[in-house]
Amino acid sequence: MASMETVEEVLKDWEAVIGLEIHCELTTLKTKMFCGCALEHGAEPNTNVCPVCLGLPGALPVPNKAAVQSIVLSGLATNCKIMKRSMFYRKNYFYPDMAKNFQTTQGPIAFCMDGWLDLEMEGDDAAERHDVEKDENGGYVYRVGIERIHLEEDAAKMIHVGGTDGRIAGADHSLIDYNRAGTPLTELVTRPDLRTPAEARRFMQKLRQIYLALGISDCSMEDGSMRCDGNISLRRRGETTLGTKTELKNLNSFKSLHDGLAYEIVRQARVLESGGTIKQETRHWDITHKRTVVMRTKETADDYRFFPEPDLAPYDLSDEFIDEVRALLPELPEAKKARYQADYGLPSHDALLLADDGELGAFFEQAVAAAGGMHAQRIANYLLNDLPAALNAAEGEATVADTKLTPEALAGLAKLQDGDVISSKQGKQVFAELLEQGGDPEQIVEARGMKQVSDTAAIEAVIDQVLAANPDKVAAYQGGKKGLQGFFMGQCMKAMKGQGNPKVISQLLAQKLDS
Amino acid sequence: MALDITQMSARQIHAGIQDGSFSAVEVAQGAIDAIEALEPQVHAFIQTTPELALKAARAVDADRAAGRELSPLAGVPIAFKDNMNEMGTRTTCGSKMLANYESLYDATVVERMLAAGCLPLGKTNMDEFAFGSSTETSFFGPTCNPWDLDRVPGGSSGGSAASVAAGMVPLSLGSDTGGSIRQPASFCGVVGFKPTYGVVSRYGIVAFGSSLDQVGPFGRSVGDVALAMNALAGRDPRDCTSQECAIDFTANLDEGVEGMRIGVVPAMNEAEGVQPEVIAALNEALDHLRGLGAQIVEVELPHIDAAMAAYYVIGPCEAFSNLSRFDAVRYGYRDPGHADLSSMEDASRAVGFGTEARRRILVGSYLLSSGVYDEYYLPAQKVRTLITQDFREAFSKVDAIVSPTSPRTAFKLGEVSDPVSMHLSDLFTIAINVAGNGGLSLPVGLGRDTQLPVSVQILGPQFGDDRILRVASALEGCYDIARTAPLAAAAKGGE
Repeated sequence: MASMETVEEVLKDWEAVIGLEIHCELTTLKTKMFCGCALEHGAEPNTNVCPVCLGLPGALPVPNKAAVQSIVLSGLATNCKIMKRSMFYRKNYFYPDMAKNFQTTQGPIAFCMDGWLDLEMEGDDAAERHDVEKDENGGYVYRVGIERIHLEEDAAKMIHVGGTDGRIAGADHSLIDYNRAGTPLTELVTRPDLRTPAEARRFMQKLRQIYLALGISDCSMEDGSMRCDGNISLRRRGETTLGTKTELKNLNSFKSLHDGLAYEIVRQARVLESGGTIKQETRHWDITHKRTVVMRTKETADDYRFFPEPDLAPYDLSDEFIDEVRALLPELPEAKKARYQADYGLPSHDALLLADDGELGAFFEQAVAAAGGMHAQRIANYLLNDLPAALNAAEGEATVADTKLTPEALAGLAKLQDGDVISSKQGKQVFAELLEQGGDPEQIVEARGMKQVSDTAAIEAVIDQVLAANPDKVAAYQGGKKGLQGFFMGQCMKAMKGQGNPKVISQLLAQKLDS
Repeated sequence: MALDITQMSARQIHAGIQDGSFSAVEVAQGAIDAIEALEPQVHAFIQTTPELALKAARAVDADRAAGRELSPLAGVPIAFKDNMNEMGTRTTCGSKMLANYESLYDATVVERMLAAGCLPLGKTNMDEFAFGSSTETSFFGPTCNPWDLDRVPGGSSGGSAASVAAGMVPLSLGSDTGGSIRQPASFCGVVGFKPTYGVVSRYGIVAFGSSLDQVGPFGRSVGDVALAMNALAGRDPRDCTSQECAIDFTANLDEGVEGMRIGVVPAMNEAEGVQPEVIAALNEALDHLRGLGAQIVEVELPHIDAAMAAYYVIGPCEAFSNLSRFDAVRYGYRDPGHADLSSMEDASRAVGFGTEARRRILVGSYLLSSGVYDEYYLPAQKVRTLITQDFREAFSKVDAIVSPTSPRTAFKLGEVSDPVSMHLSDLFTIAINVAGNGGLSLPVGLGRDTQLPVSVQILGPQFGDDRILRVASALEGCYDIARTAPLAAAAKGGE
């Protein structure tokens, strides 16, 4: 029996079939899905409520047109067909977080149907996949189908007090905050096209970047405004029928999504390899113990008794409305990436990273503009390498906005460095200072006396000194030990207190040694 | 001497206030007195609200004193069915489940009638959650028919019909899901009107069958009902199934029916189990219409026989879901002594709902369950489409259709106990809810055999509600009949 310790090992013999259900609260809207109550994060519990979202007897829903606009935007951005007539349905189940004991959601026809996204898989993420052709960098592009995106209402927030793990079992009492009840919620359902945990994670990342670019949600996975469930089954490579799937809940961070699916792949493979069968059930990803545990089995699954919501007429979208929404589409990360490559000559990977992060991309573009359209690669390097390193050292989820760095300052720094006024080492020092204190890079360089010496006469004088002080090494070099070049460089830089222009030094050194 | 309002129409009351013959407060007091005298026998109300009525009356009198223009319903007493939310009242739906439920907002229809200056006298008795045709399933006990206290007033809006028939109020509101306005109107000898679905807002009405429910008025004359419709009708932004409706329902009342084509449906009039006196009354009405210059023509409604079956699928399905919110978590009857959520919910619902409510919830729950849904709910919707088409087709040939309202006159309390027989009393009313059209029940005197009120039903095309009122008004003029049950005069004589 093959080793079944890791996803990579399992996926050599088995194919994982993964589909995702991704919920996203439309947090940037002003009001709830079916009433006029404010959407307000962190408000006093049960203050943004009314007869409709409290499900009081006699109350009726009225759809929020802005929410329809948001979901149509999300459909257009994910290559979906926008359905000109869709219907709301009732999903009936008893739980106090749903005041009416049914959730208003959509039926077989949702606002958005049959879309897709292309996933750019690179580096380690690409390594999990074995059955696709890869490019020279080991990456690949893979298209994932989207079954639908529908609009529904979120449930209230429940807090169970006095039990363990915040679960209802064993709790003394439960509190319900209906502020969240009726928050407009989209649910995207992918086709079972994903094959690796990395692809699933990449899909979620890409979708999140699109939603952020559309401005329809804050997409906070920490606050639960974007949440993900996964459906997963295994089959032997080459088989075409689907295996029995399990549904995974609580995959609410990129890491959980990847690790939860990876765990489940290994778990299922072990069961199957040992001759067992997979039970259709819903499992919970336990972050603390890094394992999936059974939540409920198929036998106890609810019958939701879906039927068309009689309080709401079929929802018709006019061509004019769809066109109006289409006109609101911003540049999406994929187009932005292509533009960064074309306009700034960035390599694919850099362009992808900048395009994926709307905030960073905007900062990048402002800095490049401040630099007169030049120094794009230098600016990208700072934002993609030095900035994350600095931010990771800090606590929390800081971004460039949390630093003192401005696009203009970064442009100035890039200019100084590309113009050989300062060395890369000095550049990093200036960058660190710009992050911490802000300021003008020219002044910092001036004040710290950092200016790089490129004056050939001064450098030649230093080289002559160094060579004179090390005649044996000069002889050895000229005898063939070319590796000593580095030694001479170091000596020169040391003598110039790090301010010598390494290019000029290296050039002059070569001339002197090789002449 | 206190003002006797028991025989007065809404228009007479309003005119009297307008010209200073009496004040709105005197009217309110007159209604309070009438309720005090008659309610012990009729039991039309679950809750009376004399203070709210007097307060509203004082506001009307103040408006008049200040020279402000009074709306046509200002100072007119009104009663609301107890499934309509009204601030300051309990809204019980005739159920133990909501026996202590205090309304937290006004239903749009309540808001509109109060804005029109109506005086709210109370909340009327009803079959539990409007499930029934006799008002006997109310947790608060049955209402008695003012024409014969041993008989039912019909239902589910039995209290609203009886309050008007007894003379306690000139106007009341009911809701009609399968005949719940028209059938009790027929049993109690008053005018009851279910407008086209969408004409009146449902916001604030505790839902039974969302796609079938419609609010409408009871009155002792077509004119009063038309006046009430003017205040009730029109789009409500809080109910997206409501429609714009900018018609004056009183405008065509005197236009007559000359030249109109009035349809009769043989399948309805010849149905089994229809009392001969009901057919006799219908034929008399048709003769009157002919006499007024209308042409009576036969029309077919080929799928009408399936209406009852479709109704008893769609109604319970929607009711099951609508009644799910009564889970005892935040309000409503809570069975004591349960340690966990689901046993608390289950027991509270088992005890809080009556037999008929539990029956409909179970039926709806079954019909919507996976696998069964396709066998019942979907075919019922198809039938619904066919019946809607039947009516559309029929109304391309005739201006209105006339039929009996109910196959029989009021039955005795306790006389009809099996649910299927009870459902049959809605035989002629249900199709119109399934199709969505409007229908009015017009009293045409006492049946020759039972000496109880008998009525005809007038149906119109969708949103042809003003035409229904016009036909009703013309036919009403052919009868010289008592508008208020003799009970009121007897009570007065007994003082």
